[in-house]
Amino acid sequence: MFYHISLEHEILLHPQYFGPQLLEKVKTKLYTEVEGTCTGKYGFVIAVTTIDSIGAGLILPGQGYVVYPVKYKAIVFRPFKGEVLDAVVRQVNKVGIFADIGPLSCFISHHSIPAEMEFCPNPSPPCYKTKDEDVVITGEGEIRLKIVGTRVDASGIFAIGTLMDDYLGLVGN
Amino acid sequence: MATKTVCISQTQTKPIKIIKWKVRENQTILIGGILFIYDFEGAEKPEQRKLKSSQAGTVHKIVAQEGSIVKPGELLLELKACSHPTIMNDMCGECGADLRRDDIATTASVPMVHTIPDLKVSEELAQKIGKADNERLIKERKLVLLVDLDQTLIHTTNDNIPPNIKDVYHFQLYGPNSAWYHTRFRPGTEKFLVNIFDYFELHICTFGARNYAHMIAMFLDKNQRFFSNRILSRDECFDPTSKKANLKALFPCGDNMVCIIDDREDVWSHALNLIHVKPYHFFQHTGDINAPPGLDKHESDNKEGVDLSKIKEKSEKINNDKTPEKEEKVINGNIEAKGEENGMEVTTESPKNGTTMEDNNDNIEKNNELDKDKDKSNKSNIENDSKKEESTENKEKNDQKEDTNNEKKVENGKNKSAHEENTDKDKPKTENSEKPVEQTKKESKEDDLIEIDDPDDYLIYLEEVLKRIHKAFYDEFDKLESGDVPDLKKVIPSVRNKVLEGKKLVFSGLVPTHIKLEQSKAYQVAKSLGAEVSQDLDDDTTHMVAVRPGTAKVNAGKRRKNLKIVTPDWLWCCAERWEHADERVFPLNSKGSKNRHPPPHCSSPEHITNYPVHDAPGARKRTASGRFMDSINPLMTFSQDDIADMGKEVDEDLSDESDTSDNEDATTKKTPILKKDDSESSGSSSEESLTGEYPKGYKRKRPNFEEEDNSKLDDVINSADEEETISAKFRRGEKLDSDLELEPEESQGSEGSIEPNEGDDGEWNMMGAALEREFLSNS
Repeated sequence: MFYHISLEHEILLHPQYFGPQLLEKVKTKLYTEVEGTCTGKYGFVIAVTTIDSIGAGLILPGQGYVVYPVKYKAIVFRPFKGEVLDAVVRQVNKVGIFADIGPLSCFISHHSIPAEMEFCPNPSPPCYKTKDEDVVITGEGEIRLKIVGTRVDASGIFAIGTLMDDYLGLVGN
Repeated sequence: MATKTVCISQTQTKPIKIIKWKVRENQTILIGGILFIYDFEGAEKPEQRKLKSSQAGTVHKIVAQEGSIVKPGELLLELKACSHPTIMNDMCGECGADLRRDDIATTASVPMVHTIPDLKVSEELAQKIGKADNERLIKERKLVLLVDLDQTLIHTTNDNIPPNIKDVYHFQLYGPNSAWYHTRFRPGTEKFLVNIFDYFELHICTFGARNYAHMIAMFLDKNQRFFSNRILSRDECFDPTSKKANLKALFPCGDNMVCIIDDREDVWSHALNLIHVKPYHFFQHTGDINAPPGLDKHESDNKEGVDLSKIKEKSEKINNDKTPEKEEKVINGNIEAKGEENGMEVTTESPKNGTTMEDNNDNIEKNNELDKDKDKSNKSNIENDSKKEESTENKEKNDQKEDTNNEKKVENGKNKSAHEENTDKDKPKTENSEKPVEQTKKESKEDDLIEIDDPDDYLIYLEEVLKRIHKAFYDEFDKLESGDVPDLKKVIPSVRNKVLEGKKLVFSGLVPTHIKLEQSKAYQVAKSLGAEVSQDLDDDTTHMVAVRPGTAKVNAGKRRKNLKIVTPDWLWCCAERWEHADERVFPLNSKGSKNRHPPPHCSSPEHITNYPVHDAPGARKRTASGRFMDSINPLMTFSQDDIADMGKEVDEDLSDESDTSDNEDATTKKTPILKKDDSESSGSSSEESLTGEYPKGYKRKRPNFEEEDNSKLDDVINSADEEETISAKFRRGEKLDSDLELEPEESQGSEGSIEPNEGDDGEWNMMGAALEREFLSNS
């Protein structure tokens, strides 16, 4: 789910940037340091929308670096268990499907794919399809899935999904 | 999958009335999923309460019916708990349970997908998937082929090479400042893949890093048609020195249908289903850049490959020619260059005949060279003809075709050997395969590309071998009828056994007298090819394999009419190509043959029992003494006295230098130390250092030091730097010539290098300062 929330971040600035462009530098540094990161609590920080305040800088003794506390608003993406999302298939193999939901990668086990979908390794790329070939899930295809579990670690979030529910599976063409 | 049944019973204190079930039988439920809506029996205020599941699994049976009243402790439903058969990132792929947190014993342990080691499935599921795979393969009448990359299909170097060689890919793996890789495909690779794809499901199995493997796969297979995602790289290997460990995971139903092509046997622990291919060597001074650690990377250094330095000069020359003069001249330049190239190849190969005896192709190449010489005389005519023509590009191609035609004529006239015809066929093929490459090249125009005459045509034979194996497998499968699957580990040796079936061989001068015939490598090679070998000349002997003429056996054999007398190269050639080579290509002449030992890739997997390790060139040796201990720490082999001697020697050197503080002197004094290892390492190591031996960012410091060698401290660091090359060699397990060579290194390693650390720093600084002063005053 997406949220628009207020967050805080501390920017550490090297003394070489002290000058007329100082606050600009703080802002650009915030964008590069924050956007695209991931925390367990708030999920992926997608984009910074507004910078509310840049606090008073504190010079670190002995270093010369300055710490600016910055308050900003950002759009974050936090996946939840039970959430239904649209994803793009990245890889299809005999054990299951790997799909991407923006920055979130997700795995759907073969058992969580409806039984009428069979794995076909021959065509390139390989795919899951029904007998009558009505539904073919293959690389780059768009699917709707439900998240059944997430794991948060330092580098990001990984999700387990399922297609075993109503209205899940291939969307569009 | 889920076998354990869990009973969920009513846990409330009061009896409850089930209003509506929210789950069906056989539906999977998750932790926290709503099971049903209920209310307390006889509650004053009706309220809909939800019962949530505390477990994940599949609903097996709903016991309590809707509308019924359930007392505390009574059964509500039976649930099959999830057995977590698929695990990704320590999460169950079915129910999403976090298996790191819970102390759940998991059965999933088999990483079945090449590229994703985190994805594991249970043994049971792996068997099921593996079985489905095998059934599918049989239905399609295919087999599995594991393909090695380095030196099997491609050859990669980090050396500086001219940018305009045809059929060479250039890429960087780790960002813009990382090392450049240059990859050359073995001639005929694309055709090989296309042809073999109908018979085999192809997997890549390499010791290269993941980036590297995928990059090469992208070059080999742009549409992901051949390999798809079946790429196993070093990152996914369980064992850094063996690829065998992963087989069980990839093919849980056994490797009955798995065939392997690789240029090294050791990483497969000499598996029976391995076809040991002849290593492809294109770039000089580079071995397998992705060799497993601890094994030598520079196995066949300087022996094969094309000397690109000359090509570089040549290309410069072409460019020089081009700018000031007219187009016609350029044509001349090109043709001259061509001539040079042939000449160059002759020169690079000729020492091989004289000194190295490893390559069993010697004879063939000799023939090629002869052809080339003939060619040269033809060339002059062609040159005249071609000068009249207009377009450069077409002309080059025409030239080539004419060359090949001429070659053909000459050969057909003289000796019609199967092999040489093959090489001729090969040439147009490689040309075809080069076309798409040209399009992808950006840096240079087409006529700037240098085409290199690559004599390697191994893939043609390999393709034949693989097709034969495929046929043998399915012939046997059809014969069995029961649906049993034959084992390639038996089929492959039996195919090899048919190569020289029915031939009776006798060896002359091939097996040293102190080795029993049955233990000799040549015997085992011949046996594995299905030939019989006898000690003495029998009535029904068909071939005599003789190293030199004039032996009693050869003289006796010459009187026989039906006996073919050949050099050992014939046997090695048969073993390499798995086919009965034409004996006429390998006549025993007055010079005899030096290739008494088979090249490493012609070994025979069936007979790996316990033959003694012989000293064939190219055979892997760890150290001079061959003891394992030495490979760990050579210091252990020195006696106390030896080490003391070394220490003394260094002390003398050091004290000498402190006397003469002149800069010039310092460098000359240093040279005796350097010279010793220079003599054995600089020839190869200075070039080796460019070949990816060192981690990126490592730069050789020697040139710098020689320029500004003005302080003592530098000198010490310098010697430490020298030490690095030797120890690097040690790590590779390369042979060091003798103990003497080690002295400078060891002495510094044991005493000299410790001194600056333990000794008085101030004293060192003072000496350094004094040196610097003197240096400044001199200059």
